[in-house]
Amino acid sequence: MKNKSWHLDRRTFLMGTGVSLGLPWLDCMAASVPKDSQAKRFCAMYFGFGVSLPDEKSEQAKWRWFPKGEGKEYQFNDSLAPLETFRDRLTVLGGLSHPHGRKMGAHDTADTFLTGALMNEKSLNNTVSLDQVLAKANGDQTRFSSLVMSTDGGVGEPTRSSTLSYDAKGRPVPALNQPRRIFERFFGVGDADSIAERRRLKSQSVMLDRVLDNARSLRRQLGKQDQDKFDEYLSSVREIEERVETSQRWLEIPRRELRDEELQMLKLDSDENAPFAFIRTMYDLLYLAFRTDSVRVATYQITNMADGSSKAGKFPQLEGFKDSLHTLAHAWDKPEGAEILGKWDRLMTEQLSHFLERLASAQDQNGAILDNTLVLYGSSNSNTHNNNNYPLILAGGQNLGLKHGRYLKIEDKVPLSNLFVTMLDCMGTKRESFADSTGDLSELRS
Amino acid sequence: MVNDSKLLRLAILGAMSLSAMSFSLFAQEVAQTGRSFGETVLPIVRSHCSSCHGLQKQEGDFRIDSLATDFNADPKVAEQWQRILKALEKGEMPPEGAKPLRSAKRKKFKDAIAREVDDSIQKIGKNGTHSVPRRLNRVEYANTMRDLLGLDMDYGRDLPTDPPSQDGFYNNGQSLQMSAEQLQCYLDTARRAMDKVIVNGPAPKVFKHEFNKCNVGGWKGDVELSNRLGRQQEFIVKVVGDYPEEGEFVIRVKLSANLKQDIGFPLLEVSLGYRPDTEILFGEVALVEITDPTIEDARSTPEESKGEGESHHEPLEQVVELRGRVENFPLPVRGQGKFPGLVIKIRNAYDDGSPLPKGKKEKENGNKWVYPEEPNLPTLQIHSVEFEGPIFDQWPPLMHRQILFDSEQRNTDEKAYVAEVLHRFMSKAYRQPVEHSEVDRLLDFFISIRPEFPTFEETIRETLSMVLISPRFLYLMVPSNKDSGIDDSALAARLSFFLWSTMPDNELSEHATQGQLRDSDRMSQQVERMLKDDRSTQFVEQFTDQWLNIDKLENISVSPERFKGFDDRIKKEMRRETQQFFKYLLDQDLSAMNLLRSDFVVINEKMAKHYGIGGVWGDRFREVEVEPTLHRGGLLGQASLLLSNSTGRDSHPVRRAVWIRDRLLNDPPSPPPADVPTLKEADPNFGQLSVREQLEIHRSTDSCSRCHRSLDPWGIALENFDAVGRWRVEPIDATAIFPGGRKVEGFEQLREHLVSEYASQFAGSLVSRLLTYALGRKLELSDQPTVNKLTAEFAADGYQLKSLIQNVVKTSAFQYLGTAG
Repeated sequence: MKNKSWHLDRRTFLMGTGVSLGLPWLDCMAASVPKDSQAKRFCAMYFGFGVSLPDEKSEQAKWRWFPKGEGKEYQFNDSLAPLETFRDRLTVLGGLSHPHGRKMGAHDTADTFLTGALMNEKSLNNTVSLDQVLAKANGDQTRFSSLVMSTDGGVGEPTRSSTLSYDAKGRPVPALNQPRRIFERFFGVGDADSIAERRRLKSQSVMLDRVLDNARSLRRQLGKQDQDKFDEYLSSVREIEERVETSQRWLEIPRRELRDEELQMLKLDSDENAPFAFIRTMYDLLYLAFRTDSVRVATYQITNMADGSSKAGKFPQLEGFKDSLHTLAHAWDKPEGAEILGKWDRLMTEQLSHFLERLASAQDQNGAILDNTLVLYGSSNSNTHNNNNYPLILAGGQNLGLKHGRYLKIEDKVPLSNLFVTMLDCMGTKRESFADSTGDLSELRS
Repeated sequence: MVNDSKLLRLAILGAMSLSAMSFSLFAQEVAQTGRSFGETVLPIVRSHCSSCHGLQKQEGDFRIDSLATDFNADPKVAEQWQRILKALEKGEMPPEGAKPLRSAKRKKFKDAIAREVDDSIQKIGKNGTHSVPRRLNRVEYANTMRDLLGLDMDYGRDLPTDPPSQDGFYNNGQSLQMSAEQLQCYLDTARRAMDKVIVNGPAPKVFKHEFNKCNVGGWKGDVELSNRLGRQQEFIVKVVGDYPEEGEFVIRVKLSANLKQDIGFPLLEVSLGYRPDTEILFGEVALVEITDPTIEDARSTPEESKGEGESHHEPLEQVVELRGRVENFPLPVRGQGKFPGLVIKIRNAYDDGSPLPKGKKEKENGNKWVYPEEPNLPTLQIHSVEFEGPIFDQWPPLMHRQILFDSEQRNTDEKAYVAEVLHRFMSKAYRQPVEHSEVDRLLDFFISIRPEFPTFEETIRETLSMVLISPRFLYLMVPSNKDSGIDDSALAARLSFFLWSTMPDNELSEHATQGQLRDSDRMSQQVERMLKDDRSTQFVEQFTDQWLNIDKLENISVSPERFKGFDDRIKKEMRRETQQFFKYLLDQDLSAMNLLRSDFVVINEKMAKHYGIGGVWGDRFREVEVEPTLHRGGLLGQASLLLSNSTGRDSHPVRRAVWIRDRLLNDPPSPPPADVPTLKEADPNFGQLSVREQLEIHRSTDSCSRCHRSLDPWGIALENFDAVGRWRVEPIDATAIFPGGRKVEGFEQLREHLVSEYASQFAGSLVSRLLTYALGRKLELSDQPTVNKLTAEFAADGYQLKSLIQNVVKTSAFQYLGTAG
């Protein structure tokens, strides 16, 4: 907590106040909550297995994901054509990848897209992801510190992760995947003036304190290895304790309500059996979370590389394609395969374009939300089995210092983490380095 | 961790750049591990291994020359050398083309390693193998909450999906992590449940309504609304007014079934939901097969003689009573939407698979759909449907009274009463005796929050919610005291989560309290009882799903153009087939070798149709003998695994092969290396080649062939089956050549090959997987003696699953007395 002036001892307040409401301390807490005058947002979207990359000279060249040309002089091929209207508000990045990723199994790199860690037989431990660094640094400015979404939900298994986000210790942050649940959590009936809600939070705080006390004494009875495992529990308790503090603080600040047309556009009952409706709903929820300034950091794993064990594996088939995503991706280098995968790439781009449109159409104090948001979109395969030359789009964030309108081909020895260093800087969370970075990508700002 | 000073860097030795320091380390090392290991192993490593697994190159990401050799320092040392031992035993190393290892030298090398590894296993075994505190997984949590509270609720609704372990299990303590998100869900779920379990206020008014005919107009879709239900009719009624939005309800369907010869029974499907503007949302209440108990029906037992012609008596009128909780279904928001009301939909879900007759809209009849009768199909006649809710035995309901029991004390000494309430509830929730100090701490919480809450009941709800997020509820834990083994109540919990995926019942707890579970006979009786109990279905389902990975079925999308008319609902039946097959072997004490090859299948009507087997009617799974011409019998002929290891369009020999090697033989191939080169297709028509031919090209590529040569044949021999597991009518070459030249032609020969060459490996594999599931942890090297012993007993008992289970729970690994026994 940065602002000591309102940092009251929780226990004192809880035990001392009884049920009286409208306490002055709450006002003082509310007053000290930073305004969203410098709202800087970040979101990252990921898809698995890469894209269609037929040779530029082949007949299928128009299905090549990367554009023709370079620098400012480039033309979108068909896969990215739906982004034409945002040409000046985005940069296509070629050549980047995580050096560690190149040493990992062909399908193992979804976990490390935002972390840059090395995961292999010797160690399946991940490290902190870009979004969680941001969430940790600035998460207290909004009601929720981050929004983590994916199609499969939960965490998946190491190397077949179903989340993009990892906490400071490299532990996966479970992703939400049910639109209705996300809606309820982020936009549910405002409990701002509900006595029950306040009571609930109060008692929860006392409860967690005690749970922690009890658990600590239980911990002492365990062996060393058990203790390590048990610490997961303890840190989870501590973390929700902190959240309770945040929630109590936000309780006094009314939630921003959704407009009727926004409520109507949400298809909360959609699920992974109707992929496009589902993806659009997830994007819409993400947009609304930004629009209402409920959160400023978000990740969304649209598809992953768990193939058969993933709900996303059959997305193309459910939308009328012949094969699963993995099979489509495998066939990119066959004549008709390049076109089929290209068409899939394009449909995914349309979804992104829709999302960018929403962000562009909504305003905060500093202009269009899009211009105050870093939107990273991409995969950790160029085409299937190749962990290099990630297809990447960085959109938005012009008010945060980005210069757009180019297709940048970057030397393949430059680690993707260099981009992350620049993004952290744009977000006002300056770090000398991130993971295996060797510098930054200053060309994005010039 | 290995102490760095004890690492023996053979590379340095090999390079002859010995410093005095490392030399002295070497001397010390040899002294500790015995002269023969160093002397035998070093020269061979240097001459045969380190050129590919050394300083310069690390093929397969494996470096041998930096391995530690102090087996006493860390159990991991033995594991690494065990890996080398396995590669030697399987003849994988040295690989073809490398400098061969003469057999005498090979033996010396192997023996030296084996001796150290065995020694090490003995030593580790004495210290006991470790098992970490294990969080209940989603299924276990939901079952446990239900059994603890007596409330049927969708407890798993908000919980993040659990991750499987690397060997496919969802109950592995190491992979089941905890996070703030997860814990918050537990708390929210506990509060949601306690709100329902502990009631306050007067009994709610009961709503009751009976319907005799459909009462909705302009229903979306093209069904015929009717009381007589064939394939294209539905009975739909809308409940309006003061229907409950929470609590248990009952739907009573009065109906009679019109049964037909040589065909299945009608399937009553009841669902509950509503219709918002754009779609129709329903949740299934139940799917019940309607038979007529007054008619002797031979259809469910096809081997017996058929019944004698059409039965002449009037169809029996019967009442089917179904229960659920209203809030578990999609509910309309009161006062909103164009189509208010709670809708009950009743269908006859029986479908013989024949083409559906075309219907027409009747102009004179309000533009309603009408379909021709199908006289050969069984129908249901709905006489009435009654909806009643909320229902309860008395007020407050039993689940409430079980916690807030009647007592004088409640009015005279609230504190003492609450202490007793908490004590009872905690003992049950923690599956262990609870100390008074623990109760006191919780009582203290109750007292501290009591003034904040308006009612006693609300305070109790909140207090009990705290119990439900305690680690003692959420985790299965064992104390660190290794000498005494786990205490009896922890053993009871382990047993019930193994066989029931839920908490122990009263009888089992009772035995634990009385300290009787250590008695081998008592233990056996309990296992016997538990396996007979319905809850053991959980074991059958969870274990077969996870061991065989057949839940993956749901994620395979079957190509509608390739398989016209494929009904996705059959996937559930496929999964059930495998589960029921396993259950049949378990219940009937048949040999587990039937999993590899059997002369019978366990199927129901739907699966029989899928396989083209005639004369099997109804939903019930039963044993059916199969002729060789039907090409079934054993796991390899089951659609569940064939489909889940296909692309949904084509068979996928590599996936099927990996499945056999991993799941049946416990010998998973190494994962493909990083950045596999794409196949530079020499053949421009690569895309047009058959899978088999593509694989041949695959195997001729150097970097692929090393693994695929020994892998692919397993899947190729199953090419007789298409993606959805049907026997192919078109001719196909399913001839597989294993390394060494062994030729296996198709499914039948593959089964023979497995039974004749791999029976003991399969048995060992099944034992390992069952033990892994029972212990909720990955097996370690030190478990090897336990696996070996169990496998020997398994074989001696004629591979009966029940005796295997009996033996598993008696191992010291399960009872946590160390693993030496």
